[in-house]
Amino acid sequence: MKYGEMEQKLRREARALLKEGRVDIIIGFENGSLKFTTTPLITSDEADIDRLVINPFINNNLSVFLTETKGRVGIVVKGCDSRSLVSLLQDNKVTRDDVVILGIPCPGIIDLDKVEQLAGKERDEIIDISWAEASVVVAVEGERKEFPIQEVLYDNCLGCELPTPKEYDILLGEPASSIGVDNQADSLTKIKQLKDKPPEQRWSYWRNEFNRCLRCYACRNICPACFCKRCFVEESEPQWLLPVPKWQDNLIFQVTRNIHVVGRCTDCGECERACPVNIPLRSLSREMYQIADELFHYKAGMDKDIPPLMATYEITDSEDLVK
Amino acid sequence: MSVNMNKEASTWEPRLLGFLCQWCSYAAADLAGTSRQKYPANIRIIRVPCSGRVDPLFIIRVLCLGFDGVLVSGCHPGDCHYQTGNYYTRRRMSITKKFLEYLGVEPQRVTLSWVSASEAGKLTELLSEMNKEIKKIGPNRLFADEIRRNGTETSP
Repeated sequence: MKYGEMEQKLRREARALLKEGRVDIIIGFENGSLKFTTTPLITSDEADIDRLVINPFINNNLSVFLTETKGRVGIVVKGCDSRSLVSLLQDNKVTRDDVVILGIPCPGIIDLDKVEQLAGKERDEIIDISWAEASVVVAVEGERKEFPIQEVLYDNCLGCELPTPKEYDILLGEPASSIGVDNQADSLTKIKQLKDKPPEQRWSYWRNEFNRCLRCYACRNICPACFCKRCFVEESEPQWLLPVPKWQDNLIFQVTRNIHVVGRCTDCGECERACPVNIPLRSLSREMYQIADELFHYKAGMDKDIPPLMATYEITDSEDLVK
Repeated sequence: MSVNMNKEASTWEPRLLGFLCQWCSYAAADLAGTSRQKYPANIRIIRVPCSGRVDPLFIIRVLCLGFDGVLVSGCHPGDCHYQTGNYYTRRRMSITKKFLEYLGVEPQRVTLSWVSASEAGKLTELLSEMNKEIKKIGPNRLFADEIRRNGTETSP
């Protein structure tokens, strides 16, 4: 992957956009304070443009900022982020004319935890991580280890259905091919394992997981699909949930959140990455995505001209559950 | 949390909660009463203006409160007083039910049904059926708090 070229093109385009006054703000990625991390960069200053980067660690879904920023925005999106953006367009949360979409053809984002585990080294001991053809080369002191990309990408990247944004104004590179076709199963391993268990075990699994939840709401705040001005968890009349982190309330919160974002959730995996106590939230959201697909043949964020899933109906919808 | 938790299994009767649409199912329950048909007395009914009023959150909350089963009942497709309310209900409930099933909730606990104002018989049958099904799977202990963080059992 030619990240260097894409980066140069991004900086050129972003600078031009700001200079010509076509956008007020640029939202992109810059290098994080730790090795192999990136962090969002939101700027209206041309001097900051050289800080923009594109590399295999740009895991954030920047479309979450669109509902918070004012004015016209130039935004850097990967395939999955573009789908979140499209679903915001479907919900009339964002006006298409107000955004300039800088699309990145994305071959997948590298999961640093997986790399650390495979290489058996801490992040600080790793000197460099780079892409070769179909593998990732990890350089540690004195040696180079090569791993197939399927083993180091995030789970949701393995099932990627749209590596290159469909909705964009400027595409920063050649369209990337999807590795999702062959690796769907790998991306669903955790869910498969869970589904093979009997119901009681599934329930106690989730009960244990949500025992850890702190109710920090990081999953909600990072989610581009969670855009309510007032969330039901903060209602006091009626008070649906207590703010105290009890597993019952934590579970209800997460289940309801997933029901609220069905048809908007694009399986970008941000909730799971944001979780400070590592609750496998993607196992919930990905299953919800599957359910929407099975029941209504609806994939979130693929077409900006159709109404959102839950804001419409078909007379021919399944009657299977009706008694 | 759940009611009747400590009673003998043989005397245990499930507790059901129904959200019935005021234009059809609620009237059907009324009709069942006036025409002296018997239906299980262990259902509590909440009248809603349309089955579309029922938020998936209600369903989960009801299960959390310890009810053993939930019924959402509205008008047949095409008969909605507000034209389209029940179509939205259908989408919402299919997703909710499937998702709860994935989490490990027994599918029998959540029922969606279409009952028109004249179908008192259908309603009584449906309720007896639900009662029977839920008796088979036993009381709702889903949200009971007996297992602590370290996995040991403690008395409630």
